[in-house]
Amino acid sequence: MTITASRPTATEKRKTAAPAPRRTFGKWPLTLLLGLVSLLTVSPFLVMLVVALSPAGSPTVPAQWPSELTFDNLVRTLSASGFLGWTMNSLIYALVSVVIILITASMAGYAFAKKRFPGRDALLWAFLATMMVPFQATLIPTFVLVSDLGGIDTYWGLIVPTLASSQAVFLMRQFIKDLPDELFDAARVDGASEWLVYWRIVVPLTKPILATLGVFVFLWHWNDFLWPLVAAQGDAMRTLTVGLTTLRGEEVPLAVLMASATISVLPCLLVFALLQRYLVNSIAMTGLK
Amino acid sequence: MTGLLFVLPMLVLFVIFRFVPTLGAAGMSLTDYKVSGEWSFVGVDNYARLLDDPLFLASLRTTLLYVAVYVPLTMLVSLGTALMLNAAIYAKGLFRGMLFLPYVTSFVLAGVIWRWIYEFDGLLNGLLAKVDLGPVGFLEQSSLVLPALAVVSVWKGFGYSMLILLAGLKSIPGSYLEAARVDGANAWQRFRRITLPLLRPALFFVLIIETIGAFQTFDTIYVMTGGGPARASYTLIYGLYEQGFKFFDFGYAATLGMVLFAVVLVVSLIQRRLLDRGTS
Repeated sequence: MTITASRPTATEKRKTAAPAPRRTFGKWPLTLLLGLVSLLTVSPFLVMLVVALSPAGSPTVPAQWPSELTFDNLVRTLSASGFLGWTMNSLIYALVSVVIILITASMAGYAFAKKRFPGRDALLWAFLATMMVPFQATLIPTFVLVSDLGGIDTYWGLIVPTLASSQAVFLMRQFIKDLPDELFDAARVDGASEWLVYWRIVVPLTKPILATLGVFVFLWHWNDFLWPLVAAQGDAMRTLTVGLTTLRGEEVPLAVLMASATISVLPCLLVFALLQRYLVNSIAMTGLK
Repeated sequence: MTGLLFVLPMLVLFVIFRFVPTLGAAGMSLTDYKVSGEWSFVGVDNYARLLDDPLFLASLRTTLLYVAVYVPLTMLVSLGTALMLNAAIYAKGLFRGMLFLPYVTSFVLAGVIWRWIYEFDGLLNGLLAKVDLGPVGFLEQSSLVLPALAVVSVWKGFGYSMLILLAGLKSIPGSYLEAARVDGANAWQRFRRITLPLLRPALFFVLIIETIGAFQTFDTIYVMTGGGPARASYTLIYGLYEQGFKFFDFGYAATLGMVLFAVVLVVSLIQRRLLDRGTS
């Protein structure tokens, strides 16, 4: 996962230049082409949906358009006990991770941005340096560590190793650094404790960036695969992505597979609505339209 | 000192689950660590073994080939869609949303859908049959499997790069392009001489992200090919997974992890240097 706000574009320096008059040559061909490419991009989702709504076993796309549409496959998927369990596991994995990362990353980001303590810069550098180490490179030692601690096939073993996110800390630090110092000083003069300053000033003022980060962390965990694949090996602990890969072969009709895929993508689509809005916000923050 | 208290929860997580495993990976690569937990120090034996391991050497070639197919393709698609969105007038928000949509889903989902699209009785061959072509074994032919996998990853991932490039394009002052137009520069010259140079930081960033991401591709391969056919899609990461969780040779798998780390480090350093030269 990478977070959009950390990108080094030239946008920060941009002044609000008046929009140049745009030549309108070929505006319809361009719109048509863009429309086609966009439609092509979403078409795998559309055929997934059509197959998921086709009666299982009867002909469907691409051979012919299904003669009727039915919710049977979706109902069948949802009433399969394994599937609901996987969904719950994915929800727990994603939501618990969001909450803990938002709290720990905003606390650390605040300290790195606004507080002085010995070893601060060295520590920040060490956090950032771990960004260079791909997770797969540490997969085996992480697995051995969690295994030795008895964490395989447990929720904590699944969740906790994914919480150390340097991107999250860095994003929070960059955002909090830009908040005026006077806010914090004023609160301290009024006798607020450090914890109160964090809770009453840092958290409310960082709500937009916390929301953006939360959306990214949710998607990252909901869509995560390699770590859940090795950390949750029993069927009862599987997440939705891992569970989906076990649905194959003759015993699962295509329509049911596509119904499972459809349900697994629904939270992403829900979050997508939010993400779109926050993306526009973060673009607006850097001076773009 | 309260600063340290605020950092403490994240610091504990980092020490246990980032720093220790990173040192652990380096340490384990010097042992013959077994799944039972038994191990002895073997020095650089694992690294020496890499050089004699035809499976590893083939996986490295396969990985490089995949990167060579994937990176240009995804750069072209993200730049093309970003340019079109930047020039578009109608329904920009709608098109941007549609193009970005696959990015919020998982590689596993992409793999499940596209596995069916590529199948002999799947969507693509069904469409080809309508014009009396095919069937084509997209995932069954060694020569087609890497491009087929690359297309899936491009589809799933280009939305992010597209947005970065779109932001870069929007930051180019319209007055520059207008001035060039007044001076008689045609569309290609404006793109080549103004847009492209000013877009360079964003392009480099996307290039780094995409290259590193391509080296780490695993999910789609696991779902769609299992490294096949005849190991034609058996990449470095897939080898790491198999050595670790099929053969339980943890010491050797950790060594493959160190190779991945080295590759990612070298790619970042090279591209960082090019970027520095480009902006100074």
